[in-house]
Amino acid sequence: MSGGPSSPGGARRRGGPGRDVPADNPGWAGNTGEFGLAEADVRGGVASAGAPPDGGHPSVAPSLPYMLAAKAPEAPLFDGPYLERFEKIKSRYPTARAALLPTLNLAQELRGFVSPETMDEVARLLGLSAACVRGVATFYTMYNKRPVGQFLIQVCTNISCNLCGADDVLAAFLRHAGTELGETSGDGAFTVVEAECLAACGFPTCVQINSRYFEDVGPQDVPSILDRLRGELRSGAAV
Amino acid sequence: MAYPYRHDREVRVLSDGFGDPVARTVGGWRARGGYEGLARALEMGRAAVIEAVKASGLRGRGGAGFPTGVKWSFMPGRASGRPHYLLCNADESEPGTFKDREIIRWTPHQLIEGCLIGAYAIGAERCYIYLRGEFFEATRVLAKALEEAYAEGLAGKDVLGSGTDLDVTLHVGAGAYICGEETGLMNSLEGRRGEPRIKPPFPAAAGAFGMPTTINNVETLAAVPHVVRHGGEWYRQWGTKESPGTKLFCVSGHVNLPGNYELPLGFPLMDLIEDVCGGVRDGKALKAVIPGGSSVPIMSAEDCETCTLCYEGVEAAGSMLGCASVIVMDESADIVKQTRRMADFYAHESCGQCTPCREGTAWASRILRRIEEGRGKEEDLNTLLEISEQMTGTTICVLSDSLAAPIVSSIEKFRDEYLALVRRGERVGAA
Repeated sequence: MSGGPSSPGGARRRGGPGRDVPADNPGWAGNTGEFGLAEADVRGGVASAGAPPDGGHPSVAPSLPYMLAAKAPEAPLFDGPYLERFEKIKSRYPTARAALLPTLNLAQELRGFVSPETMDEVARLLGLSAACVRGVATFYTMYNKRPVGQFLIQVCTNISCNLCGADDVLAAFLRHAGTELGETSGDGAFTVVEAECLAACGFPTCVQINSRYFEDVGPQDVPSILDRLRGELRSGAAV
Repeated sequence: MAYPYRHDREVRVLSDGFGDPVARTVGGWRARGGYEGLARALEMGRAAVIEAVKASGLRGRGGAGFPTGVKWSFMPGRASGRPHYLLCNADESEPGTFKDREIIRWTPHQLIEGCLIGAYAIGAERCYIYLRGEFFEATRVLAKALEEAYAEGLAGKDVLGSGTDLDVTLHVGAGAYICGEETGLMNSLEGRRGEPRIKPPFPAAAGAFGMPTTINNVETLAAVPHVVRHGGEWYRQWGTKESPGTKLFCVSGHVNLPGNYELPLGFPLMDLIEDVCGGVRDGKALKAVIPGGSSVPIMSAEDCETCTLCYEGVEAAGSMLGCASVIVMDESADIVKQTRRMADFYAHESCGQCTPCREGTAWASRILRRIEEGRGKEEDLNTLLEISEQMTGTTICVLSDSLAAPIVSSIEKFRDEYLALVRRGERVGAA
């Protein structure tokens, strides 16, 4: 975007007059082209704000977000609005089993990870065998089989991002978060993992942090992104 | 007006609303002529809708390019007495592809309208949109739009007073590339591991929940409202005889202006890179292009010179259009490293049902890493080619074929790069 603040070093990543990305990239959802939109517009927050806690229409009742900063590992499966969402999810498939993935998503949203005990509870809820649920839960990468930090940072290193320096972005996250690949930082804030293609290949490097995409991320953007996340934790606004 | 850059050679059919937050709302979509296609479809009747889509020549945008109207005509129809399902494949995860996410997050009603028309045409009362689990932001936008559609009587019971019931349901996945394969997606929807199924039976006979099922890609269904509203012939004003219409091209890698661009099929590849995308980054020379997502053969700069971007054009250039995910590599790109990264990906994503894929992808990945690190031998290239041959056409789905394609083509076209790494290793005695 033209008119953006310029960086001390004047480093810019893309060519073309009026089309440069300021190096202090805010990192949200690819607003680096010609559109000049606010973050909420790009993310869709303006259009989709105010989803009812019970999930709304049964066809829509989300089994997302799958990853929240706040986690309650001991929370029951399910009560309150979560129970309503669970009931709605069950209502929309011809078989009980089809509700399994959305139910596991819901359990992870609440508890932050899917432990073997959680899998067994989900099996009982849906009338499935424990082995069947174990087999499914371990097939899918989005189910965390062990606890993760408040922010799960997933850095795409697949081909399009890799061509544009994703390995350096991953290294920067590991260095600045103070952790190792797949591990959680000492303060419990950040878990950094490598991700496969996140379908934002035109905005390399793409990083998914909990439910948000941060795009056009370069190694130099990493400290400011982590600062932003720490600020959200302090203010209680982390999602 | 695709995203995030525009170009005046674009033809905006699907992408006109990209970057316009108003187009996300039901009112904004209607102001653009939205839901006129749905109303027209309900008047025309099922058979006429299928005929219109057949006449348009619209081909599946998920990669295979099968004619959509023909696929729809395979469905047995409501007289069979069995429930029918439409599945929308929104599990976009082919490396290099990022068009469906843009369609969903900017024009969710375009997709909902396409799903409603598609479901109506094939005689389904329910459409499941299988969304990639990572697409939280896009899913939230789509959920809001779907709430609006239900509130306005565009979905649910008695759609637009037609007496027809059409439900559209969001189903969110949990992270597995293989669920983008149509039968893997069906297993996943049913709450199973996303392992592809042997065909036959084909989905039109026994698909989701054992019932007649059609599965279409997001971009395919997003094109349907326009085809129904304006007619099949109108759609054929763009593209070639074999590949009618427009297509979203996802350009990534070493170009100045990466992003989505909607262009008529048959557009010259070099014009896309040099003109539309502002050329190769930093004035470097073009080295290679993967034209259709990571699963298709890699093309050398020479192959690109006369290549036109349509199904038959890319095939003539020795590769495949796939989902038109154009990954551009300049002279600095490390072909062996990138092939190894692709192999890592396929090894990670192999569902493990078939031995040639489960073992072959992991084995190839280990050999490629060995070569990359200077510990390879020249005979490793023959081993890679042998493994690739055994991974082609021997498995339930084409995941292992999808790794064989980049391995074989990269060895054919960039053998010197492999050999240079092998020889460098030999010189320092690493081997």
